[in-house]
Amino acid sequence: MNCDDSRTYLDAYLDDELGVAESLGVQKHLILCADCRQSQQEQLALRSALRDPEMYSQPSDDFARRIEEVVRRAARQEAQSERSAWFEWLRLGTFRWVPAAAAVIVVATMGVLFVMNRMQGSHEQLIASSVLAGHIRSLQANHLVDVPSSDRHTVKPWFQGKLDFSPPVPDLSELGWNLIGGRLDYVDGRPVAALIYQRRMHDINVFLWPNRGSADDSIRQEDAQGYQILHWNGAETAYWVVSDLNNAELLSLARALRGH
Amino acid sequence: MTSQEKLCGFEERISPHLKSAYNLAKWLTRSHEDAEDVVQEAFLRAFAAFESFRGEEAKPWLLTIVRNTAMTWLKRNRNTAVSIGFEEPLEDPIERSPDPEEILMISSDREQVRRALEQLPLDFREAVVLREMEGLSYKEISTTIGVPLGTVMSRLSRGRDWLKRILANPKSASPKEESA
Repeated sequence: MNCDDSRTYLDAYLDDELGVAESLGVQKHLILCADCRQSQQEQLALRSALRDPEMYSQPSDDFARRIEEVVRRAARQEAQSERSAWFEWLRLGTFRWVPAAAAVIVVATMGVLFVMNRMQGSHEQLIASSVLAGHIRSLQANHLVDVPSSDRHTVKPWFQGKLDFSPPVPDLSELGWNLIGGRLDYVDGRPVAALIYQRRMHDINVFLWPNRGSADDSIRQEDAQGYQILHWNGAETAYWVVSDLNNAELLSLARALRGH
Repeated sequence: MTSQEKLCGFEERISPHLKSAYNLAKWLTRSHEDAEDVVQEAFLRAFAAFESFRGEEAKPWLLTIVRNTAMTWLKRNRNTAVSIGFEEPLEDPIERSPDPEEILMISSDREQVRRALEQLPLDFREAVVLREMEGLSYKEISTTIGVPLGTVMSRLSRGRDWLKRILANPKSASPKEESA
């Protein structure tokens, strides 16, 4: 290797970028050539000057914090725009779903209403048969009244302490309905008040208890085994009226009770 | 990659090279304020591009972005040519050959060295900074600057020669940088 070759390779040699063969060539030449050794010294002097830590430009701590904040803000913005893109997708998607969702809701609602109706119906059926049984029992067992009195001021206080509510006991004698007493009965899993009115030897059981459900003033009628059963849900009290009296007269009693 | 994972990965792999980013930007722009602006822009670009980072060496990856940001920045903010063509002869600041003893002595004066490096034309300056200060290999410099390996070697060699000459005669007035 001559001086020209050596000069060509010197930079790469000092930068550790030269192959093994060329490196050996440069090394051998440097041993022999004082001029090239001089060049090497200059290069090394320059290198150490450039690599001096004082030459290195350091960012300030404030700047490092600023960059960290800038990057984190960018990350937050990116996350935000990702989220809003997702919302956008969902929003657009919703419009496509509207008809299907509406159909599902309609069908589901109808189904629930149907089942509720069935349950409601069967529940009322249960009460009706329970009320009817109570009426018949009261006639059979000669246990029509617990408190025989035509005086509502006797009957009403009698229920106190026996029920968790105070049943209304209207005096309907002027309308031809004679109160003959009160009785404690048991319907739909709870103690209820039974008021007994009479007209022309017909006994009428009026079962009543607090209405926990929605009010529905319309009187529903049913006849079973020769008896009339009338029912309505007052704002505060649920009424069941049972008797073998004819339907028209019983309906007038129901309306009189409802009016009180 | 979630935003949180991306931020964590970025802060783990890229953020530690902030010093190198700033040092390169400072030597390219030769201004503290400009360097900070360039680095901030470069970090935002790097964060946006971090999904394309494939676990290669992080420092050359970041410095490539810093370098490109700085070049765009210089073109935009300074109405001067930023580049000296490879084939153009680099004018010697002085005629006589440097005295080796002189170089050894003067290169111990850091202020002289700093001024000499600042005066070095941009293309040569970036090669020298990437090699001497950031310790990048020829191949990494070639990727970072976007020039062939031979050009990297040539720029390093001529840049160093130029520095040695200017250090040997520090009184030689303004070198003709960016006059091309």
